[in-house]
Amino acid sequence: MRALVPLPLVLPLVAAALTLVAHGRLRVQRAISLVALTATTAIAVALLALVERDGPAVVTIGGWARGIGIAYVADLLSALFLTVAMATVLCVLAFAVGQLRAVQESRYFHPLYLVLTAGVAGSFLSGDIFHLFVTFEVMLLASYVLLTQSGDDGQVRPAMTYVVVNLLSSTLFLTAVALLYGATGTLDMAALGDRVADLPPAVREALRLLFFLVFGIKAALFPLFFWLPDSYPTAPTSVTAVFAGLLTKVGVYAILRTQTVVFGVGDGSPDGFILVVAGATMLVGVLGAIAQDDVKRILSFHIVSQVGYMVFGIGLGTRAGLAATILFVVHHIPVKTALFLVGGLVEETTGSGALRRVGGLGRRMPAVAALFAPGALSLAGIPPFSGFFPKLALVQAGLAGGQYAIVAVSIVVSLFTLFSMTKIWAGVFWGDPEEPPPLARAREDGPLRPPRLMTAATVGLVAVTLGIAVSAGPLFDLALRAADPLLQAGAGR
Amino acid sequence: MGVALVAALAGRLGRGVYLVAAVPPAAAVVAGAVVAPDVLAGRVLTESHAWAGSLGLEVQLRLDAFALLMVALVSGVGVLVFLYATQYFAGGARRHATFAATLLGFSGAMLGLVLSDNALLLFVFWELTSATSYLLIGTDDRRPEARGAALHAYLVTGGGGLALLAGLVLLGQQAGTTTISGLVADPPTGPLAEAGLVLVLLGAFTKSAQVPFIAWLPGAMAAPTPVSAYLHSATMVKAGIYLIARLAPAFATSSTVWRPLVLTVGVLTMLAGGRRALRQHDLKRLLAYGTVGQLGFLVVLLGAGTPEATFAGCLLLVAHAAFKATLFMGVGIVDHQAHTRDLRRLSDLRRALPGLFAVMIGAGVSMAGLPPLLGFLAKEEAFAALREGGQTLVLAGVVVGSALTVAYTARLLVDGFLRVRSGPDVVGPGAVARPSWAFVAPAAALTVGSLAAGVFPQLVDGLVNAAALALDPAWEGYTLALWHGFTPELALSGVTLAGGLAIWRLAGRTGRLALPELPGGGEVFESGVHALQVGAARLTGVLQNGSLPLYLSVISLTVVSVPGVVLLTRGARLALPDLAANAVQGLVVVVIVVAAVIAAGTGRRFAAVLFLGAIGYGVAVLFVIQGAPDLALTQFLFETLSLVVFVLVLRHLPDRFAIRPPGTFRLFRAVVATAVGVFVAGFALVVVQARTAPSVGREYLDLALPEAEGRNVVNTILVDFRGLDTLGEITVLIVAALGVTSLVAVARQRRRGHETAAREPELEEAGA
Repeated sequence: MRALVPLPLVLPLVAAALTLVAHGRLRVQRAISLVALTATTAIAVALLALVERDGPAVVTIGGWARGIGIAYVADLLSALFLTVAMATVLCVLAFAVGQLRAVQESRYFHPLYLVLTAGVAGSFLSGDIFHLFVTFEVMLLASYVLLTQSGDDGQVRPAMTYVVVNLLSSTLFLTAVALLYGATGTLDMAALGDRVADLPPAVREALRLLFFLVFGIKAALFPLFFWLPDSYPTAPTSVTAVFAGLLTKVGVYAILRTQTVVFGVGDGSPDGFILVVAGATMLVGVLGAIAQDDVKRILSFHIVSQVGYMVFGIGLGTRAGLAATILFVVHHIPVKTALFLVGGLVEETTGSGALRRVGGLGRRMPAVAALFAPGALSLAGIPPFSGFFPKLALVQAGLAGGQYAIVAVSIVVSLFTLFSMTKIWAGVFWGDPEEPPPLARAREDGPLRPPRLMTAATVGLVAVTLGIAVSAGPLFDLALRAADPLLQAGAGR
Repeated sequence: MGVALVAALAGRLGRGVYLVAAVPPAAAVVAGAVVAPDVLAGRVLTESHAWAGSLGLEVQLRLDAFALLMVALVSGVGVLVFLYATQYFAGGARRHATFAATLLGFSGAMLGLVLSDNALLLFVFWELTSATSYLLIGTDDRRPEARGAALHAYLVTGGGGLALLAGLVLLGQQAGTTTISGLVADPPTGPLAEAGLVLVLLGAFTKSAQVPFIAWLPGAMAAPTPVSAYLHSATMVKAGIYLIARLAPAFATSSTVWRPLVLTVGVLTMLAGGRRALRQHDLKRLLAYGTVGQLGFLVVLLGAGTPEATFAGCLLLVAHAAFKATLFMGVGIVDHQAHTRDLRRLSDLRRALPGLFAVMIGAGVSMAGLPPLLGFLAKEEAFAALREGGQTLVLAGVVVGSALTVAYTARLLVDGFLRVRSGPDVVGPGAVARPSWAFVAPAAALTVGSLAAGVFPQLVDGLVNAAALALDPAWEGYTLALWHGFTPELALSGVTLAGGLAIWRLAGRTGRLALPELPGGGEVFESGVHALQVGAARLTGVLQNGSLPLYLSVISLTVVSVPGVVLLTRGARLALPDLAANAVQGLVVVVIVVAAVIAAGTGRRFAAVLFLGAIGYGVAVLFVIQGAPDLALTQFLFETLSLVVFVLVLRHLPDRFAIRPPGTFRLFRAVVATAVGVFVAGFALVVVQARTAPSVGREYLDLALPEAEGRNVVNTILVDFRGLDTLGEITVLIVAALGVTSLVAVARQRRRGHETAAREPELEEAGA
């Protein structure tokens, strides 16, 4: 069983090398990617099942003692996130194959995509803070290149913003790791928890906030998120979708893991600073979304807003709050990705995602409308869709903790989210376009047919989100159990 | 509800799909009838399934007599509305299947709502009714007003729904249960429970279009008439009433805010709705405002929390569903046949539609509360309950409200059907085609039922008594009768009738009532939405201004200042270390500092790269002095390699940086950079002094030769102890190389003019 733990990193990396060798032969590349990601998803599921049965599995790479070598740790939290992430990555792969033009796909899409996956998987599994930096870099480098890959004129500038901000954040991350190492003399997260507890309170607190903010850049918290809405919407949908679903969530995961295990958040007392940041992130993000009139831009701002909810749960510092955050991430990864995929379907069939240039698609592509609705309501936290359950959990945890202000903010933000979703709905699926859509076939009347493979991929992901809604009860119980090891600093890993 | 899918698949049936869709509600009616004897006798049927128990959300269903009454209304009216829809949508290509499925989905959600015992499950269905009604109101999605009305309705009811959620969670946490039966059995008290109640009421008020949230309901008349007849008279707007009715008997006494709030809002709504109804020319809007008024009446009765008022409320609930659905269907028929529902354009309608007119009279009489229809019984009971309850002020309000009801009923029937008008736009009786019997039949059925129930009250007696008993165990039961003798209530009915007719005549003569218009209409909503959009755009424009240097500055300052402030204010201990152990160290440090300043200040790329290299070599020298040759060697190699790469790249770039920012901004940058530098340096000193445990570096040194079999400890770390990191970094390098290759390939395809723009990122990649 323990042999499985590093595989989600290794398998995609090996596959990436193979696809690189097979450069120029798209069919072979597709087959390799598909097999590798299916296998990785299966491994993730297996890990989750095994961890659920036997408890956490720890592997130290190279057989060194823990603390000397790099530890890979599969516990409930990492296995759960890994499973959701890998399933999402797999669906987006199918979508991308359907969407990308051959020339785009041949520009190293497959190796890069696989490296990105490896980086994400490694980030979830790493039990070593410096190795977390390395896996972040693996993920980010691949994301830089994916973002600039299609190299259209409009894309270089926003990509610059993305690359430069992330380079800065990586530098700060590395600095933070160096400072933490300077204070504790170890990089292993389990040992870090114990040693950080012995530090003077001022140093401990400063290190904690530094890590919170450094990961806050990746997770796109206020006021560190401005790079995200500028850069995400410009990439091809399949790329944006996987970024939207995964990258910021890896940041959230890092916050969740380090704040609790290393820095001892989760002792039941709320953290005022985190809650304020969470509230501001929710609110500013959703207001940004309201101000947009393009599907992908609206959705990009919602990433920010939703990250605020996730951090809200962490800020509560209670078992219920952490579990709510975990459930939120589990729901959010597939939902957000699915919404971007729907946006991609719209763009693919009409040539535009601008609300002015599309319209009436509910009549012409009812299936796409039906795929959009659950995701949109989910995002606003409307039952019976998946987003309702983590929001309910957050509201309950917040009210139980007496944090009325942040609960009120989260509820108002929900309403605003609903408003911006109706804006997409009314703009895309109702009415008539104000300006003709770019693609000729979209200008004629009659039903439109989105490409089959892309639709199938989207259906798959929407099905995942519906499954989350149906099994919300067991999933929340799982999230509660996954939160348990986070609750006492240093006890988990 | 799964049947909604079946209906969606039945797209080929055309209009026939409505008949298919009528089957599930019909089945519900039959099922209700089967269990009715048991339930009316006081048995409560429950069912329970797991869903999300740790969140307090379970599928707990509970059928008591009040729920049965609601089921009968929701499904009974549902069947009739589906039958009506087959005729209403005759001709005209519509997406029947989608529409029917949505309507059926709504119907299912409504049934679920009244059957839920779990408060959170009720919320789930509550939101489902809001979402489906958004779709239904926006059925004619090409009309902007339909889209606007749908949005208005959704945001108001959805916003209220969110308040409801918070309220239910608060109540649940105070009571320790999430079942409604549990809440009612042992109502929680205290400030948090009161806050929860206010939030719950807020939700109920928005859903049932109470003051100040009345405007969405008339707006929702943009929906096709079957939707209006169903959602906005008999069902969805009753969801709020339903919830109030469930909670009132328990909370009207346990809470101090409940009764004042509910009664005030109810009476105000009744007056506002009635008054506005009187001023409408559009028959459908007239009915919509009438509905608002009646909903206010219902809130008063079912919210008062006394057994008598509850009983009267149940009666009015039945009466209202019957007459209001009838009237809506009737107006829909007028609209369908005459192609207008503006009463100024209708002339002598009773001659064109005599059958319909008879039906409308029946329903109208019931609405006005005149004998011998069900509405009369309900109103008499209501007056009696309020009078006996000593609620004089409320009674007065309700009497005035009822008079207004009489007045707008007169406007509907007399001005709408009897008046003979002439003019260019007027549609005479000749231009109005006779509707088929099947079109009128559903409405007629309801009127006949209403009449029968008025004349033979025993038809509804059992159901309504049992329903009232289910809500309030204190209800002692009462036998309905049409004639009670000369009671005070009869006198009040007389006052109501006379007053109502007088108001109608007066309003007809002056064209309006000399009463000030309250705000709270659609304008408030629209300006609110507008303000939100403008504000959001302004805020986003300021924050998200696209300037990369600004983003970087904000990020750097935030990341540095927050922990920095903690370090300073919480008194981190910092003993000044030995600044330089020997003169050589001091010299090297000076060189590094000078190189750093020049590198930051220069305008030439080449100079910047050279001085960066100088910094790197300087640090390597420090490593040597400190006695770490392995580390120094690595650093030297790295610096040399980067320098070579930079120089190779620089051959292709202009000598100077393209953009030099203005002086003030350069100063700002200098401040940011200094802040970051000072923070990192200071913090580094602090953390090293704070360390308590030995570093793992010591272990690496000890293990390097015996275990990893290497003399260069850096090498052993890189390839052995932490080999996986190196694998990751190699991957990073390969990916960077791929990125550069792919960008170069793109750049080659491009024309010369774009060269500089395309190459900037290359530098970044190389730097990474």
